[in-house]
Amino acid sequence: MTDYIWLIPILPLISSITLMLGSAYLGRSVIATLGVGSVGLAAVLTGALAYNFLHAPEPIHVVYWTWMQVGQFDPSIAFYFDGLTLVMMSVITGVGFLIHLFSSEFMEHDNSYARYFAYLNMFVAAMLILVLADNLLLMYLGWEGVGTCSYLLVGFWYQHSANGRAARKAFIVTRIGDTAMAIGLLVLFTELGTLNIQDLVAAAQAKWQVGDVIPLLICVLLLAGAAGKSAQLPLHTWLPDAMAGPTPVSALIHAATMVTAGVYLIARTHGLFLLSPDAMTVVAVVGLLTSLVAAFTALAQHDIKRILAYSTISQIGYMFLALGVGAWTAGVFHLMTHAFFKALLFLGSGAIIHCLHHEHDIFKMGGLRSRMPVTFWSFLIGSAALAALPLTSGFFSKDLILLQAYQQANIGPLLWVGGLGGALLTAIYSFRLVFIVFFGHANTSPDREIGWRMAIPLILLCALSLIGGYFSLPVEKVFPIDDNQHPDQWVELVSISIPIFGVFLAYLLFLGRQLDPGFLIESASGRWLKQFWYSGWKIDRLYDLALVNPYYWIATIARNEPVDKFYQSIVITNQTLNAALSKMQTGRMRGYIVSMVIGLIGFLGLSLFFVAGAV
Amino acid sequence: MVLVNLILILLLGGVVAAVSERVSSTTPRQVALLVIVLAFLYLVSELSGLDSLNQLQPSTPNDPNSWLIHFKASWIPAFGISIEFALDGLSLLMVLLTLVLGAIAVSASWTDITERHGFFEANLLWTIAGVLGVFMALDLFLFFLFWEVMLIPMYFLIAIWGHENRGYAAMKFFIFTQASGLLMLVATLALVAVYRDSMGHYSFSYFDLLNTPMAKNTAWWLMLGFFVAFVVKLPGFPFHTWLPDAHTQAPTAGSVILAGILLKTGAYGLIRFTVPLFPDAALEFSNVALTLGVAGIIYGAVLAFGQTDFKRLVAYSSVSHMGFILLGVYAWNELALQGAVMQMVAHGFSTAALFMIAGSLQERLHTREMPKMSGLWQSMPRMGAMAMFFVLASLGLPGLGNFVAEFLVLLGLFQVNPWLTVLASMGLITGAIYSLMLMQRSFQGEPNPQLETKTLTDFGSRELLTMAVMVIALVVLGIYPQPVLDIAQMTIASTLKFGLPGAMP
Amino acid sequence: MTLSKLIALAPILILSITIIVLVLHASLKRDHKSAWYVSALGLLITIWGSYYASGYAQQVTVLLKVDNWGLLFSALIVVSTLTTLAISRDVFLAEGNRKEEYYLLILLSTLGAIVLCQSSHIVSLLLGMELMGIAVYAMIAFPEEDALPLEASIKYLILSACASAMLLFGFALLYAATGDLSYAGIGSKVASAYESNPMLVVAGTAMVLSGIGFKLSLVPFHMWTPDVYEGAPTPVTNFLATVSKGAMFVALTRLFLDGKFYQFPSLIVALTLISVASMLVGNLLALRQENVKRLLAYSSIAHFGYLLMVIVGFSSLKETGEILNLGRDALTFYLAAYILSTLAAIAVVANVVGEKTAHIEAFTGLFWKQPLQAAALMVAMLSFAGIPLTAGFMGKFYLITLGLDAGLWLLLSGLIIGSAIGIYYYLRLIFAMSSPLGDPSVVPSKHSLSWRDALAFVLLLSVLYMGSWPQPFIDFAGV
Repeated sequence: MTDYIWLIPILPLISSITLMLGSAYLGRSVIATLGVGSVGLAAVLTGALAYNFLHAPEPIHVVYWTWMQVGQFDPSIAFYFDGLTLVMMSVITGVGFLIHLFSSEFMEHDNSYARYFAYLNMFVAAMLILVLADNLLLMYLGWEGVGTCSYLLVGFWYQHSANGRAARKAFIVTRIGDTAMAIGLLVLFTELGTLNIQDLVAAAQAKWQVGDVIPLLICVLLLAGAAGKSAQLPLHTWLPDAMAGPTPVSALIHAATMVTAGVYLIARTHGLFLLSPDAMTVVAVVGLLTSLVAAFTALAQHDIKRILAYSTISQIGYMFLALGVGAWTAGVFHLMTHAFFKALLFLGSGAIIHCLHHEHDIFKMGGLRSRMPVTFWSFLIGSAALAALPLTSGFFSKDLILLQAYQQANIGPLLWVGGLGGALLTAIYSFRLVFIVFFGHANTSPDREIGWRMAIPLILLCALSLIGGYFSLPVEKVFPIDDNQHPDQWVELVSISIPIFGVFLAYLLFLGRQLDPGFLIESASGRWLKQFWYSGWKIDRLYDLALVNPYYWIATIARNEPVDKFYQSIVITNQTLNAALSKMQTGRMRGYIVSMVIGLIGFLGLSLFFVAGAV
Repeated sequence: MVLVNLILILLLGGVVAAVSERVSSTTPRQVALLVIVLAFLYLVSELSGLDSLNQLQPSTPNDPNSWLIHFKASWIPAFGISIEFALDGLSLLMVLLTLVLGAIAVSASWTDITERHGFFEANLLWTIAGVLGVFMALDLFLFFLFWEVMLIPMYFLIAIWGHENRGYAAMKFFIFTQASGLLMLVATLALVAVYRDSMGHYSFSYFDLLNTPMAKNTAWWLMLGFFVAFVVKLPGFPFHTWLPDAHTQAPTAGSVILAGILLKTGAYGLIRFTVPLFPDAALEFSNVALTLGVAGIIYGAVLAFGQTDFKRLVAYSSVSHMGFILLGVYAWNELALQGAVMQMVAHGFSTAALFMIAGSLQERLHTREMPKMSGLWQSMPRMGAMAMFFVLASLGLPGLGNFVAEFLVLLGLFQVNPWLTVLASMGLITGAIYSLMLMQRSFQGEPNPQLETKTLTDFGSRELLTMAVMVIALVVLGIYPQPVLDIAQMTIASTLKFGLPGAMP
Repeated sequence: MTLSKLIALAPILILSITIIVLVLHASLKRDHKSAWYVSALGLLITIWGSYYASGYAQQVTVLLKVDNWGLLFSALIVVSTLTTLAISRDVFLAEGNRKEEYYLLILLSTLGAIVLCQSSHIVSLLLGMELMGIAVYAMIAFPEEDALPLEASIKYLILSACASAMLLFGFALLYAATGDLSYAGIGSKVASAYESNPMLVVAGTAMVLSGIGFKLSLVPFHMWTPDVYEGAPTPVTNFLATVSKGAMFVALTRLFLDGKFYQFPSLIVALTLISVASMLVGNLLALRQENVKRLLAYSSIAHFGYLLMVIVGFSSLKETGEILNLGRDALTFYLAAYILSTLAAIAVVANVVGEKTAHIEAFTGLFWKQPLQAAALMVAMLSFAGIPLTAGFMGKFYLITLGLDAGLWLLLSGLIIGSAIGIYYYLRLIFAMSSPLGDPSVVPSKHSLSWRDALAFVLLLSVLYMGSWPQPFIDFAGV
């Protein structure tokens, strides 16, 4: 029953290779069929797999071949499939399929249609390998693979060098995290002698006590990797820039799947993190700080995609918060619901951009409610879920996170309050977006309608965003049982009401205009703060000053090979000596005789010296 | 005799290629390709007859009969010099790599040589013959002979068919290797003298010299002589400065051979000679070597980033990559050493491909300066895609050969020296920086309006076929490297024995 | 005098007879061509004579010691003379003058050289040296209408005279100290003479070595070399570089060994310094030299610096003679390699530029015009640089082995540094030859092979043969 599991990543991969090789020969409809169909097929197969798994929920482990075997080191090309994998695969293939379908219309007029689908399929394949891998090295393959596809897709429109810059930034910043993770792998193998995730967790728990320092080190290194890929502080700066790619790419890679790989990694290796409470606290704090910083930043943005990007960072922060407080299931749950509603929002924004001559600035939109109804409703539902308004999917997952955060042993209430602040901000900025874009005065008019291939994904995702909260994840056997007591009633009440209050506030500020914060914004500190938030807390600037510029500087001064100066000096010495000696070759005999005589005198003098010494 | 024949095929093939120019100017390259393919087929057919290849037992270093093939004939008996060739796993890998890359080099320069075709192809074949000799000679005198003699045709390749500053580059290349080679010669002769003093007769045979007893101090100096020669060739920091010039100025085939194969002779020498001949001294020296390796990785990467010349950038990336080999050899364990061997093979393909792309660009644009390029993807998407692939391979994308190599090296090194490993893994980041910059400045970005993009022709079927060979090689190395690891294993297991205190075999 | 002694003297006798024949011939009928043939034939027979005499090696009177080693170099010297004759042919024929005296001079000089090779007495040394030298002065100035050869000749004459004066005075001092003039006699008495009168011995040897140092153009007695090399007609340059220097070095070795000079540390230190200085100065001077003849002059300074290593190496002579054998082999090999390589190089230079200025530009693109000539010059350069498969490499091989055995670290460093510098200018010539700048349309010439190509080819092969199959030479020299 499991012998087709390898087909799921291979199908998109084959499609991708076919598209690359055949790009010049295939028609657009063939390209679309291949690109969308392969992921669709993968989704169907995943569905079949899910059906089997839900009936007989046993993990599946398939080994294909030994990747490389050197002494003790023998990672395999092998897949491990359990409930967590199933959730991830469903999101990847399911949401992935919808986004592919959406893309087939969105990108229809692009010259590099085949290249686009080749990359996108490749991404799906890599992402599937990432979640299916039974060992960390194979996961690392998928991990870097998705990073590469992200790089390729962010820089898809390579003619603009800004896109290239954004793509490189995405790759390099995540590579910093990846390198930390690779070092983590080195530590793990050196300490435990295996990289197989199940064996490794078991070995770790047998070898170390809770609170030992090596697990802490390992967890921090893995966290760095996760933070890079999932755009958490301090490695989050690439994600907003990554919006340079086509919008469906942002939906798939930079919202629904790849950026949650870090969450998956930590959830997958939670056995290690449980050994290090300190590391978990770090995860929680990083998550919370990220979610707050990003939320403030989102508040000040104009670009529709950047708002969504910061919101993604912020929401992944919530997931990290969940992981950090041991709410594994809640974290993964939020991962899933977030995939639904954030994909929805991105696709919605894609529809807007598609229909508004590539306009990104929300203040140049407005009044789109009646003219783009499908998109409006998508956005409304998506934003509601994002703001965690009751009954939407986002509500269920975020509520779960906040409640479990409250119960964390040390700083739980603090985390809870922070999380609430974030929730408030989320509600404000998401509805700021809705109110400004869809209500009020129309600044532009759409020049086209979206077709069925864009509408269907939006509608389906709307449905998922609404009902996604009622799914129950088949992860009971993956994560330890959560035995927390239910917190007090008031905690839950506050948690529920805060987002609603946020929406109300947003209404007052941006639609009803009952509150006019003008005097605040116009004041000196207000303007500074706005600029500060707008620039993403000037973190990019900081990195430029601290890392990027020095690197450029060193590379510039060193580019002419300082080491060679040493060898040059040898050459110059030789040339100087050559010149000096050549000058003596005057061609005049008296000089020659002098030289001979000096030689003779020297010879005699030396002899004398020796004789005198001997006597 | 197989090994002698192999070299003879290439040497005579070179003569035939040179003469064949009288038929037509395109005949030499066909002859050259044919000769290499013939040599390859000949070797493969001879190998398939060997039983020992199927078992791949670790060879006992000082028992030549345990090697795959061994040949010995007296040459200068007065000094115990003989014509001695032998093949074990490591040499076999290197020989195969040499032949494959040799064919690729011929293809890479299929059209960019406009004059003196015959002599060009002859030099190419002679260089390959010399390199094969280096990989197979097990008499130290003979080894040195090939080591030096392979320089001459290479020198001609650079000096005659090179670019604008070829004289300087060729000279620098020759002097660096020759001067360091002299040190090796002195060390070799001193080693033989030590051997004679204890055994009473001369011998240059590797198998005899392996366990020469000598004073610690002597061993240290002799080891240094070999080390410098090999590290110059590798090239390791800070002896690398000949490489950017030589690579940049060489014609495409020259760069391919130089980067793909010639650099590997340095690595091969370290594994084959420096470590086994002077195990204790080499082990003592390993911290210095490791530091040089890490310095090379970072230095090469930073300087690569600073370059504007496409080929120069790739050349510096080689410096960076070769640092991993130094780490792999001197980390002194199986993982790292396997990684080093893997790096030799994988880097051979990835860099050869990048140089071939550089050569194609130069042929089409008449410049290597990246500021004069930009957005070439638009007019040459196939070349762009290939460049992207090999750039990704070179930055160590998992699933491709270079990743396996670098990860194994890091994994092995970590067990020995975690802090240096952390520094070395910075190479993964810096590697990404210069690699992506290469892509950005040449193929991505706004198409340069000053370029006559209409006249640019994309890769044709010959180039694509050549590229495909390297793509497939890297992918296979990346996801199923086991055959290479197994073949190398027979050498590595025996090499490592030298590192064990008191465990001289 | 017995028959066996006469046979032992065969090379000298045959050459002398040839000279007499030549004189008679010239006085009867002035014919350039036949004079050439007579000389060549005489030289060929002399080579045979050297071979034949090797079975009769012995001390012939107190003056001459005939042994295989000396005969080998006699033969080599005759080969050099033959080459000189070969490349002289065109130069002197072209001028249409009656130049038979030239052949007389060259044979006389050769005779002097052979005597020098076999001398075992100060008298025969002086005799051989002056016979060789005086003929050379005349040969240098042979193109009497040109200023440059005349200047060179006069320079060489006057400076030689100075050197000879030093040499003579040195011998006088040695005679005063030891009361003997044969090498062996000096050798047996010099130690005790040193006890009684050290200054006399040391000063004497110093002056003798200075004088010989001049002929070998060792630093600081080297300054005449480039001027004379450049000024002399190319064949004479060849003669000077091979015959004159080679014979002188053989004589020096004999004197040094049989005279037991190696026991004086002052000499060893001085020779070490001279050797290192010659290696470095010679190579440095050659570094940017544009004139190929001057370049070869400087290069020869360096090579005799390397060769001097052997002489210094004799200082570690143990009574077992191990170093002696190795040193003598090294010397034989290096000197032979040097002579052969120089012959190849100058033969090509003579063919390419003749008597015109040997500027390096004249060699640009030679590879494409005259591949055989270029190949010969290239192999010669590689041999000088010490690249394997050439004779020069085997020479270096021997020198390094000797240096390691005798522990001559300073000299070894000098050798390595000098060789590293040397590569540059040897390669420069190779680069010029292979440079396609000449004329790309010129395809390798298809004209039939001339005798020049044959000569170049033979020399090229012998350099390669000696380098790649040295065992026969080793066997021969070891006899």
